[in-house]
Amino acid sequence: MLLAGVFGVATFLILFAKLWKIQIIDHEFYEEKAIAGQTRDLTVSANRGKITDSKGNILAISASVHNVVLSPKDIIERDYDKKVIADGLASILDLDSAKLLQRMEKAKSQYEVIATKVEDDKAEEVRQFITDHKFSRGIYLQADTKRYYPKSSMAAQVIGFVNSDNRGSYGLESLYDTDLAGEKGRIVTSRTASGVEMISGYEAYVDAENGQNLNLTIDANIQAKAQYALETGIEKFEVLEGGFCIVMNPKTGAIYAMVSSPDYDLNNPSSIKDKKKAAELATMKQNADRVLAEEAAKQPSDAATATAETQDNPDAQEEETEKTPGELLMDEYRAALSQAQLAQWRSKAMNDSYEPGSTFKPIVMAMGLEEGMITESSNFFCSGQITVPGWPKPIKCHNHNGHGSQDTRHALMNSCNPAMIQIGQKIGNNTFYEYMKDFGLLGKTGVDMQGEGLGRFWPQDEFKNDIVSLATASFGQRFQITPIGLITALSSVINGGHLMEPYVVQSVTDASGNIIKYHEPTQVRQVISQQTSDLVRSMMESVVGDGGTGKNAFVNGYRIGGKTGTSQTRQEGHLITSFVGFAPADDPEIIVLLAYDHPKPAAPGSTVTSGGYYISGGNMAAPMAGQLIADILDYMGVQKEGGPAASDVIVPNVKGKPLDAAQSALKSAGLSWKLVGKGGTVTDQTPTGGISIPSGSTVVLYLGEEKVTTKVAVPDVTGRTYSAAKKALEDRGLYMKAPRADGTSKMVAFSQSIVADTEVDPGTVVEVRFMDNTVQDYAND
Amino acid sequence: MRNKKKPSMSIEKQLARGPLDLPFLTLTLLLLGIGLITLLSASYPSGYYRGGNPYDIFIRQAVFAVLGIGVMYVVSRVDYQRWRGLSLIVLMISVVLLLLVKVPGLGSSAGGANRWLEIPGLPRFQPSEIAKFAVILYFSARLSKRKEGTKGPYDPRRLGGRTLNKLHEVGFLELLPYAGVLLLMLGLLALQPHMSATILILVVGASILFAAGIKLRWFIIAGGLMVTLLGLMIATTDYMTTRVQMWRNPWADPLGKGLQAIQSLLAIGSGGLLGLGLGNSRQKFLYLPEEHNDFIFSVICEELGFIGVTLILTLFALLIVRGYWLAMHARDRFGSLLIVGVTTLLAFQVFLNVAVVTNLFPVTGISLPFFSYGGSALLIQLAEMGVVLAVSRQIPAQKSD
Repeated sequence: MLLAGVFGVATFLILFAKLWKIQIIDHEFYEEKAIAGQTRDLTVSANRGKITDSKGNILAISASVHNVVLSPKDIIERDYDKKVIADGLASILDLDSAKLLQRMEKAKSQYEVIATKVEDDKAEEVRQFITDHKFSRGIYLQADTKRYYPKSSMAAQVIGFVNSDNRGSYGLESLYDTDLAGEKGRIVTSRTASGVEMISGYEAYVDAENGQNLNLTIDANIQAKAQYALETGIEKFEVLEGGFCIVMNPKTGAIYAMVSSPDYDLNNPSSIKDKKKAAELATMKQNADRVLAEEAAKQPSDAATATAETQDNPDAQEEETEKTPGELLMDEYRAALSQAQLAQWRSKAMNDSYEPGSTFKPIVMAMGLEEGMITESSNFFCSGQITVPGWPKPIKCHNHNGHGSQDTRHALMNSCNPAMIQIGQKIGNNTFYEYMKDFGLLGKTGVDMQGEGLGRFWPQDEFKNDIVSLATASFGQRFQITPIGLITALSSVINGGHLMEPYVVQSVTDASGNIIKYHEPTQVRQVISQQTSDLVRSMMESVVGDGGTGKNAFVNGYRIGGKTGTSQTRQEGHLITSFVGFAPADDPEIIVLLAYDHPKPAAPGSTVTSGGYYISGGNMAAPMAGQLIADILDYMGVQKEGGPAASDVIVPNVKGKPLDAAQSALKSAGLSWKLVGKGGTVTDQTPTGGISIPSGSTVVLYLGEEKVTTKVAVPDVTGRTYSAAKKALEDRGLYMKAPRADGTSKMVAFSQSIVADTEVDPGTVVEVRFMDNTVQDYAND
Repeated sequence: MRNKKKPSMSIEKQLARGPLDLPFLTLTLLLLGIGLITLLSASYPSGYYRGGNPYDIFIRQAVFAVLGIGVMYVVSRVDYQRWRGLSLIVLMISVVLLLLVKVPGLGSSAGGANRWLEIPGLPRFQPSEIAKFAVILYFSARLSKRKEGTKGPYDPRRLGGRTLNKLHEVGFLELLPYAGVLLLMLGLLALQPHMSATILILVVGASILFAAGIKLRWFIIAGGLMVTLLGLMIATTDYMTTRVQMWRNPWADPLGKGLQAIQSLLAIGSGGLLGLGLGNSRQKFLYLPEEHNDFIFSVICEELGFIGVTLILTLFALLIVRGYWLAMHARDRFGSLLIVGVTTLLAFQVFLNVAVVTNLFPVTGISLPFFSYGGSALLIQLAEMGVVLAVSRQIPAQKSD
């Protein structure tokens, strides 16, 4: 009996041991498995942060979409009608019903994603379908997000895009991916074995941490203006390879706009936006497809002959593995497509580098002045060419007749190469190299953007004794820097010598608007003194304002400074025309670098385009940039300097006055008049009082007659001289206002404020900008 | 002095009015109470999700528990000597009932086995429960009259008489009726089939035989035979083979045959030291099969942890130890053997259940006394406890000094 008792107790000890093993020793193993079995772990995608411009305009935003998921296991277990499901979903989501049926055969699977990024309306239809047929266990919708870019192509290369997993793959989307993406959340719900939520809610939420927002320094308005200036110029000057434009705050390095052409629609980054290129690609594809189809049709007979051939020609087999012409065409198309995609995704303003040409000259000036090697009153003689030791031919100035004797300011205004070479020689190789480094041109600017490019300069050992390279470098040729590098260096030249780190992300804020990171302007170093900077800035103002090569950038009422540039490339006839400008010249608020890559010469070797524009920075980039600067200053509310041009007068309001009084008022204003009708009192006038028009214009006075209100079409006056343009407008009863009233024949109309053929009221004032079409600012030759 | 005026009772009657064994009663009620509470927790989700009242199972079990306590009390009041005479009848009834299981309309089948009887007017029950008690009763009654060392009654001059006498002397012949009963039961249960009940009856029968002083060698011989037989059975029947394989490695088919064992292990394992707290089992949410029945112990492990189940198993152990103590102190051999049978039945059932849910043994349907849902089983268990208590009444009070 006792034995039985002992035995009984002993058996229980076995149980305790086993329980100890399971519950204590292997506890974690089982717990993990149990939890894995009991819980449904749903990931909650975090909302990707917004990207906004400096005014809060949304540039990129995520919206919720849905993924449609099937659970074949449940569908089979619950005996749902697969055919109904396949057909229903196929019709809503535009899918292949047969393929859906096939996927529902995966009896063990509970997770078959059949459609991604389904937008709300379609998702609602699916939801309705589920409810109608009570398919709730087999089909479900999973929340996801999709990226939208409301301003489609605006600042495309800056912003970049995301891949299908909503991870950034280009641009800021990529660079700031971790900030934007947030943390995926999880909902761990305990489910019963049949998948229903457990009643005694065991639930764990790991909240999705929403992504942070990027607030850019980019201003959508300025960006649009810059884009407009770039695109209009590209069209006007028949530019073959696009261009770029950067607008920056020279004091802080904040980038207001960065445009690069060709660009692309952020909502559809893979499609080629450039119409010509797209058409070209479409033709290539068509061609490839056609050849492939022909080959496919021929295949059977080919195969037959091939086998016949194989018997007597053992090499035939090897030939078969080679690509057919159709396949080669297809490969070619694919390569061209990806090249075009890469081209539109790159930012010429930042990823690529180029030879800056004459726009680099202010930097060299600043070096010389800072080092005391030259002063404002230094004298440089230009005979039209200069001989550099070590170079067989003399290096020519763009003005083959020579600029003669000129002081420092005029050397810059003339963009004189021999003068620049002399300055370079004074500076010396080593100092020049050190300054290149100090201006940040040998490295990266550190702009917070993806894939900043690097320039190419001679290695220090090579450069230190290379007089020829120093000579070419002095006028900005034979080395490459990035546009962003150039504008950053030039900013330091005009802002008192402070080399700033350019930036595009002003702040990073969390979902509730708290600032997580804020970009304070960062000075890299002081490169030159305030005095040198002031002097070079004033000299650059002369380039525009005092008839230098940048005079076409002049806009009345604004103090614009700048420098033109026409860079050569390694390719004959491929020029990059550019202009760097800033305003107001006494205290610059903005600096703009605008460039057109490869305006098409009318004929090979020609120096003008078929539109008659002389291919140079001064004739292309300068006028466009000048207008752009003026527009931006207006938008920014920078006070215009000086009133209307001296020759403009304000039309007095003479309506209702006796004719005598009206006439004397007009006379004293310097206007002439024309009478319509008969009477003693002015009943109406064109234009109405208060409008500013050029003096000497004719005002129409109505004496009892009905005012003519028939609209007139604005004539196209571009390319015409001042007087011709004025006449063309006045013939239609319109008035011309020219900000730079200049009757000399050298000036031709460059642009007009109202597009030709627009219907306007008689008496409307059309502003016309004139430019000097003969500016030459070739860096050399 | 007024007591003396009372009509004198027989000694038996007086003894039958003795006090119940309080420790045994307390432990029984304690386990019953805990069993009800854990059943409520374990049965709630499946009631909830399968539709209907989630308290349904609990209420029915509670009703049976109350009834069972009543039955236990009544049985404990009955002089257990009466069972002696009934033992053969009970055995015969149980045999009939086991046969009835196969009668269509009365027996209900589940999972390819007929273990339940549905006799109109009575709650559904497993006749094997009654068979177990019948075996205890019959063995105890018969063995209590056993005399050792008697001369062989057979005439040595008759054919084989010597052999028979020899067999009698070594104690073989006296075993034949018991072996016969056990083999009959075994056969009847194999018809159902009902593995766990078979094992239980064999073990219980053996325990009583052992307690009655049958020589150990017979157990070794019988045990050896059983093991060989079992081995053969396992090897030859697919059903048993896969079971054993699944027992050895339940992870081989986690969603199929290994499911029960795995889900049970997951429940027990995730309980850890302190458990998830009463009512907080997750595995009971339709993951565990039979979560309010054979696998209720897994839920308890999950909810109360190692500490909790240690406590419960300790209570069982105390009850069993107390049972054997009572057996040792019983007034007569019959009572003693009865308790040994009942207690061993309880002990082995607890052991087997825990062994199954912890995958120590291959899965076989066996309930946990006082915990598993099942009205008739509970009723019979409590009645058996009543028998033990009835025996305990007649234990003469120990002299206190």
